[in-house]
Amino acid sequence: MGLKVLQGVETLCVARCDPAKTGQHWSVFLAPQAIVPAAAALSAAQYSLEDILALDTTDGLLVVYHFNAWRFDERIALKVLLPREDPAIPSITSVFQGAQWHERETRDFHGIVFEGHPNLIPLLMPAEDVDVHPLLKADKARRAIRDIMDAGEIVSCTGEIAALFAPPADTSADAARTDGGSKA
Amino acid sequence: MAAPDEVVPPEIPASGQHAIQPPVVKAKPVQAILDLCRSMSLWPMTFGLACCAIEMMATGMARFDLARFGAEVFRPSPRQSDVMIVAGTVTKKMAPAVVRLYEQIPAPKWVIAMGNCAISGGPFKIKENYNVIEGVDTLIPVDVYVPGCPPRPEGLLEGFFQVQRLITGKRWWPVAEEVQG
Amino acid sequence: MKRQYAGTDPLAGDFYTRQFEKDRGEHTLVVNMGPQHPSTHGVLRIVIEIDGEYILRADPVLGYLHRMQEKMGEVQTWGQYIPNMGRVDYGHPLAWNWAYVGAVEKLMGIQVPERAEYIRVITCELNRLTSHLLWWGAYILDLGAFTPIMYSFDDREMLLDILQRPTASRLTYGYFRVGGVRKDLDDRCIEMIKAFIPRFRSRLPMYKDLVTDNIILRKRVEDIGIIDRDMCRRYGCSGPVLRGAGEPYDLRRCEPYSIYDRFDFEIPTEETACSAGRYLVRMAEMEQSLRIIEQAVEGLAHAEGGHIMPKAPKPSMKPPKGEAYFAVEGARGKVGVYAVSEGKKVPYRIKLRSPSYSNLHAFAEAAQGTLLADAVATLGSLDLIIPEIDR
Ligand code: SF4
Repeated sequence: MGLKVLQGVETLCVARCDPAKTGQHWSVFLAPQAIVPAAAALSAAQYSLEDILALDTTDGLLVVYHFNAWRFDERIALKVLLPREDPAIPSITSVFQGAQWHERETRDFHGIVFEGHPNLIPLLMPAEDVDVHPLLKADKARRAIRDIMDAGEIVSCTGEIAALFAPPADTSADAARTDGGSKA
Repeated sequence: MAAPDEVVPPEIPASGQHAIQPPVVKAKPVQAILDLCRSMSLWPMTFGLACCAIEMMATGMARFDLARFGAEVFRPSPRQSDVMIVAGTVTKKMAPAVVRLYEQIPAPKWVIAMGNCAISGGPFKIKENYNVIEGVDTLIPVDVYVPGCPPRPEGLLEGFFQVQRLITGKRWWPVAEEVQG
Repeated sequence: MKRQYAGTDPLAGDFYTRQFEKDRGEHTLVVNMGPQHPSTHGVLRIVIEIDGEYILRADPVLGYLHRMQEKMGEVQTWGQYIPNMGRVDYGHPLAWNWAYVGAVEKLMGIQVPERAEYIRVITCELNRLTSHLLWWGAYILDLGAFTPIMYSFDDREMLLDILQRPTASRLTYGYFRVGGVRKDLDDRCIEMIKAFIPRFRSRLPMYKDLVTDNIILRKRVEDIGIIDRDMCRRYGCSGPVLRGAGEPYDLRRCEPYSIYDRFDFEIPTEETACSAGRYLVRMAEMEQSLRIIEQAVEGLAHAEGGHIMPKAPKPSMKPPKGEAYFAVEGARGKVGVYAVSEGKKVPYRIKLRSPSYSNLHAFAEAAQGTLLADAVATLGSLDLIIPEIDR
């Protein structure tokens, strides 16, 4: 069974996670432009926003949104992969006002630009440190997504995301492996 | 019942280390009396920054009762106080405010750096530090350091005794006996 | 390294005020509350636009106590990070301890012995009481009454005496370990807890008579600072703020962790969504915490296992790669830790989800149109701990 709340939203990869191991029930990869419709769908289903964070990986900057419902125990992690150069993503403040500070904080720490944010000025960092992004990792310390998380039990997935989780092989074989990766 | 003063090393200067205007009456006994009065009615500023501030509050409350030693009038305004307790972590963003508050206190004034954060950055002194100021004494002169994370209220009381000693040149209170076990 | 602190010039003007003044109306005044303001409990700063005595707009400015907690998570080992958890929120540090070790335990797939779970529940609930007492005293102090804080600290000191025995600290506990807790509760400690419960029970009605039923307090907090259910959802508020809006959401029940499903307790809620609602919820919660402690102390007597699992992981442990989210119910709401491991001694990323952060955000909206004096009453009722907001 897929994830019902996000029906009608274009997803790149939907995977069921083991809550006993990860504390999350669903992990959903989205394209940047799909984040606002996804947030709207979750808002309509009475989910509330827990937090927004970013992870610095060799594959790019991974923005993670955690949503949680009050009446039943389900945590959904929406993940959006952004390129390292000029990372930009639409802001969800129009749906969840509470995202304002989370987005400003993520901009402080990782330098991600949230387009459409009403007031994207430094929140936690001093105003003069506008261009300092302390949580970006040094080149040596950066890891690939497959080295820091599991794909989970995949329900549907595009080749692009599956490739992220496929074991590192020589790159030419990557395209051929995506099918095998999605079943793993 | 003041304790004999052998705990005070003689080389410590008598009245803080800040330049103050020369007194109107320059007679030594008058100064001594004024110093004594001053030291027994210190007005600290309510200036809580982080965890240590809670211990500062606890010091003023019923059990530890700072009032016994004449320092219970916590003032919210720097202009009415003469001791500044820097209780907590000073960050880059907060630094200008700390300096400004210090400057607003009328002299003579004393500063207690309470807790490791105020002394040296404490637990937040890491190599990758980008936001915590490593020691409030890089910003303003500090008279008394009270180490601990957080210092116990007894420690802060001892800090106040030290300030009193700085003012009058004498420790006025008995030294607590060592507790066994 | 010699550092230059830009902006130390007090006359240079301030970025945030200038930013705020941009859309300021005519005939209004922009006022800065804080960062050093007695009612903000630390170094919170709020820029307010007022028209007469009424607030048109409020914008909290954070970061005055940003202590790099998330950065430190990436440079210290998994074990070394536990003391940091005691300093994120000094009101209820054990909740943070728990959220962190819980996340690591999830990563490593560790089952904690039963006795350790009981000890965690007891100490965490005692700590919740100290937190609520601190809030209560300080809140009433904000509203202008000095005496109650003397009473609350009196009780709080007793709790600290109890917690000091196992944790060896008065305030910033780093007591939980991956796989258990640092030290067992000794007999003296249990005795003290048993003596404390009836004493505190008898004090609660006094608090009610002395303060809660006081007409002056009622007039100051009732119908002030409305944060309703929908607002809570949009801002992600949790804890007493949400329960004060009538939603019985408590992680101890709704996302049961540890052994909370074994205890019989209620989740107090209030429908009013105002400061008084939040106040009453917290007062009622103290009673429920006492109930939990009572049952847990009984259960502890025949709990199996030790206070920590045999062969508990060392501070230099290496959790396998993966991500884990663990949330617990802190005194202020949902305390969550999201940990990502790459299988090394040092975490890859630690994200701290703090409840005050979201709760304070709702304040900006709740304060619109209220009196300036009421803003203080609203702010206090949110029970803010600044280091937790700024992290
Ligand atoms: S010294 Fe310790 S207790 Fe005091 S403010 Fe710093 S971290 Fe908190």
